[in-house]
Amino acid sequence: MRKPDTSTRLAITGIGIICSIGRNRDEVWQSIVESRAGIGKLTKFPGETFPTDVAAEVGEIDDLVDKRESKRMSRSDLLAVIAASEAIAQANENASPLPRERAVVSTGTSTGGLLEGESFYFDRLVRGRGRVAVSRVLQQPTSGPSDAVARALNLGGGVLSNATACASAGAAIGMAGDLLRSHHADVAVAGGSDALCRLTYSGFNVLQAVDENPCTPFAADRKGITLGEGASYLVIERWDDAVARGAKILAELCGYGATCDAHHPTAPHEDGRGAQAAMRGALAESADAPRVDYINAHGTGTLLNDSAETKAILAAVGDAVPVSSSKSYFGHTLGASGGVEAVITVLALQNQLAPPTLRLDTAAADCTLDYIPHTPRPMAMTNVLSNTFGFGGSNVSLLFRRA
Amino acid sequence: MNRVAITGIGIVAPGAVGIEPFRAMLDAGMTSIRTIDRFDTAGLSAHTAALVTDFKARDYILAMKLRRMNTLSRYAVSAARLAIDDAGAQPPSESGVAIGTAFGPVQTSVDYMQEYVAKGAALAPPQLFAESVANAPGSHIAIELDLRGFNLTVTQRESSLLAAAMFASSQIVKGTVPSAIIGGVEEVNEMVFSVLDRLGALAHAEDGVSEAVRPFDRRRNGMSIGEGSAIFIAEGTPSRQPYGWLAGFGIARDTTATISDWGTGDAQVAAAMAAAIDDAGIQLSDVDAIYASANGTKRGDLLELRAIQRLFGDSVPPVVATKAYFGEYAAGGGFDLAAALLAMRDQKLHASLGFGERDPEMRFTPVTVPRAANLRNILVNSISAGGGIVCAVISREAA
Repeated sequence: MRKPDTSTRLAITGIGIICSIGRNRDEVWQSIVESRAGIGKLTKFPGETFPTDVAAEVGEIDDLVDKRESKRMSRSDLLAVIAASEAIAQANENASPLPRERAVVSTGTSTGGLLEGESFYFDRLVRGRGRVAVSRVLQQPTSGPSDAVARALNLGGGVLSNATACASAGAAIGMAGDLLRSHHADVAVAGGSDALCRLTYSGFNVLQAVDENPCTPFAADRKGITLGEGASYLVIERWDDAVARGAKILAELCGYGATCDAHHPTAPHEDGRGAQAAMRGALAESADAPRVDYINAHGTGTLLNDSAETKAILAAVGDAVPVSSSKSYFGHTLGASGGVEAVITVLALQNQLAPPTLRLDTAAADCTLDYIPHTPRPMAMTNVLSNTFGFGGSNVSLLFRRA
Repeated sequence: MNRVAITGIGIVAPGAVGIEPFRAMLDAGMTSIRTIDRFDTAGLSAHTAALVTDFKARDYILAMKLRRMNTLSRYAVSAARLAIDDAGAQPPSESGVAIGTAFGPVQTSVDYMQEYVAKGAALAPPQLFAESVANAPGSHIAIELDLRGFNLTVTQRESSLLAAAMFASSQIVKGTVPSAIIGGVEEVNEMVFSVLDRLGALAHAEDGVSEAVRPFDRRRNGMSIGEGSAIFIAEGTPSRQPYGWLAGFGIARDTTATISDWGTGDAQVAAAMAAAIDDAGIQLSDVDAIYASANGTKRGDLLELRAIQRLFGDSVPPVVATKAYFGEYAAGGGFDLAAALLAMRDQKLHASLGFGERDPEMRFTPVTVPRAANLRNILVNSISAGGGIVCAVISREAA
């Protein structure tokens, strides 16, 4: 079989994003520049009581989707289609059209259409098994968002869905890059999507992993995550194909590292051993041993993650690399986070502006890096890493380079 | 030539625990699809599925760890232990894990929501939440066996296992890891069963014809679903005589497929098969058998048989359909690959259980009686409702 050739350069030619700080990449970047977070009181699930009530919600999206198309889609599907459509439109701007028949969709999602699955479940409890329309639950499987994007955008190169908890979208992007490098596909539409649902909102609360206030990653007084939702996609092509199409190249995807802590079902290894190996793996995919200029951290705001990730960064690249957590803007988008934060990372490279960690007044004693507090920092960036880690100890680190 | 050896297989299947009991079940032409006693099927059209029954997870997993695992994790970790026993050695710590599952932890989510309703959002059990992620089985395998390479879970309906195998194989030939655990896992539950039944996707009694899976048969009217786990030890450099080699993969999508059914894009299915054959570095004429995706659904089987005839013309190699042994989705698609690898090792084709009368469009007849065959390369198909297609070629030789 053809092996993925890491000397084959990969170009990012389109990005699309929707999350609590914006419904497209311009809105999102404007919020980043203005240090404007999208975290507020939970409005979903009225009448249901949770121990905390903070969330990073997207709000209504009905005006962004074709009603005929959207009838049988879950909210995760809709978020995915919105972001993927934006990414593909950008990739096609002033260029020969993408070969859609050779475009693979690779999506990371943790819960897919579970929000609709929950409603179906509640309706069944009340009305009985045979009396609830099954059309509402067809998109519950985590294959839903990939299938929905491929259907909506008529993409014929294949569909892959990655359900590796919060590392899902990072893994989906890495997988997509290898499919291009082994010529199994010519275009990849890769990213992630996750809508807030009861199971995750309740579940992280019962794990006591949610901060009652907006999360403050790396802070001395951090208490946990803020739950968010969103979607994002990157259009990735082999560099030469992108040039031949006349597409504008936004950034380069140099490679990725994927590892497992093999330690605990939900907690990271305290020394961040798997995270460290994932970053090293990503750097090893680039032949020139690149110097890292910035790291978009996983930075969830939990005691364990931020401490372990700091140790991992220190071990992998030292203490001189600025690091920040975009989750301080839009919370933890779970299975989508690797994609949403990959798009933020690409925008940071394009604009040579590193997003900050909002609300970070005092870093914790065990968080000893430069976390870019409060405001964005203009800086020269060539090589940057984007980290995502998940339940089960899965870690993915993506290496991007300025175009 | 870059190929990946399969040196161990672990099976937790309906009616068979372990690879040799699984082989015996296939050789005997025995189905494991039975009347369901796990949940009530009253009022539904279908009443049968392939359920794991004679299996004790505590034979493979310590009791204190067992409490932390849902059914999927128990199946998968047990199958991993069996695979290592079969291979004769544990993979090194740098190895990766790629798991495929079609519906994953639906039952765990249902269990969680039951507690959520009964006790409230703040008091649902955290242990159920931890197991509600689809990658919990892969994570438990990594923890049990201290495997620190990549660890990811693919959920692409009927193509889940082959998609996971495609990724894991690419990492071995790329040199990221020396070896990997490839696997699939699935659980039959009332929620998925009743939704599929409502969609009319399940085989059911109709017009005097009994409820049964009939792949490629003109009387077919749906699938049966199954569960269990199949785990494969994949190595770049084999430590023992392998069952066979993963030699090539092809991926495509049928753009005519609807949200929950198969489409009519046989050209795209044929393209995925051709891509796998090309990736394996072989010719069409080198394919000695096809282990089909056919699951007894009207549109799915028609799509596949048209694609096979489109690609192979009048020279269709022997075709074997295995879904009537253990059902669709079983082991996330893993039993299909296990059956093909047994065929390769034993140089023997299995019977297409459930097939009796040809579909009117068919110009070939599936294998109906087990027989010895010279098998150099076998094409294995997985064609999903919704349009996803992943095909693989397994080979007898390393190059």
